[in-house]
Amino acid sequence: MNASSTTPSVTEVAQKQMKHTCEHHAECMKIIQAILDDEASEAEKDHFRENMDKCIPCIEAYRLEKCIKDSLTLKIVKKPCPESILNTIMSKINS
Amino acid sequence: MSETLTTNEYTDDLRYEVFNREFMPHIDSMYNFAFRLTMDEDDANDLVQDTYLKAFRFISSFEQGTNAKAWLFRILKNSFINDYRKKSKEPSKVDYQEVETTYNSEEASDTTYTVDLRADAVQELIGDEVANALNALPVDFRTVIILCDIEGFTYEEMAKILDIPIGTVRSRLHRARNLLKEKLRSYASSMGYDS
Repeated sequence: MNASSTTPSVTEVAQKQMKHTCEHHAECMKIIQAILDDEASEAEKDHFRENMDKCIPCIEAYRLEKCIKDSLTLKIVKKPCPESILNTIMSKINS
Repeated sequence: MSETLTTNEYTDDLRYEVFNREFMPHIDSMYNFAFRLTMDEDDANDLVQDTYLKAFRFISSFEQGTNAKAWLFRILKNSFINDYRKKSKEPSKVDYQEVETTYNSEEASDTTYTVDLRADAVQELIGDEVANALNALPVDFRTVIILCDIEGFTYEEMAKILDIPIGTVRSRLHRARNLLKEKLRSYASSMGYDS
């Protein structure tokens, strides 16, 4: 119960500080992708941490980019290489 | 092929051992990469075979302990450009034009770019739909997404595979993802997933 009495005010304050437009969104998009690719520099990580708390367009963009990346990684089915190719390769290098 | 001079001495036994231990485990990834590049099963078969035979022939330029998968992908990509892209039914011209146009309009599109696509809509898509959207991209853009998101190469590895600077890897990926979002959006809306 203690928590619930403090939580609303924190949320209110947070909501007031939330940004609904991002003035450097093109730059942020590049940083978000670098973060998801695990290729971000320290400066990019700092920028990301600052924005992800308060910038709604960046938060939404992060969710979308992550979702697309996860879909590519997890949903696309990998076919096994046909046995015949394996056999041809092995017979050619052994001849 | 790599021009790297190397002092690696490979005995016949070692050639086979390295081939089996370092190269063969990547054959499924190589096959899928070949298929997504050529979009044709027969071409993919030939491309994978050619690549592995080249890899065996030039095995002495592979330095043990380095990334075999990246080395193989680079050979496959080069074989594709040199042997297959030319003969495939003229798509390369179209691809190049499309690529050029996209590159040239990039400054403008980059600053204003937003695709009206929701994460929830993407979540609804099945693997085949995501794969179709990916396959609809020009080959250069398709390639960077495959290497990064499907095969998990680092930017540095991608730069080596593609023979381009890391900065170009970053910007090409960025453009590729913007194009992919457009394709995914039209998929999502045609499936009625859109808001």
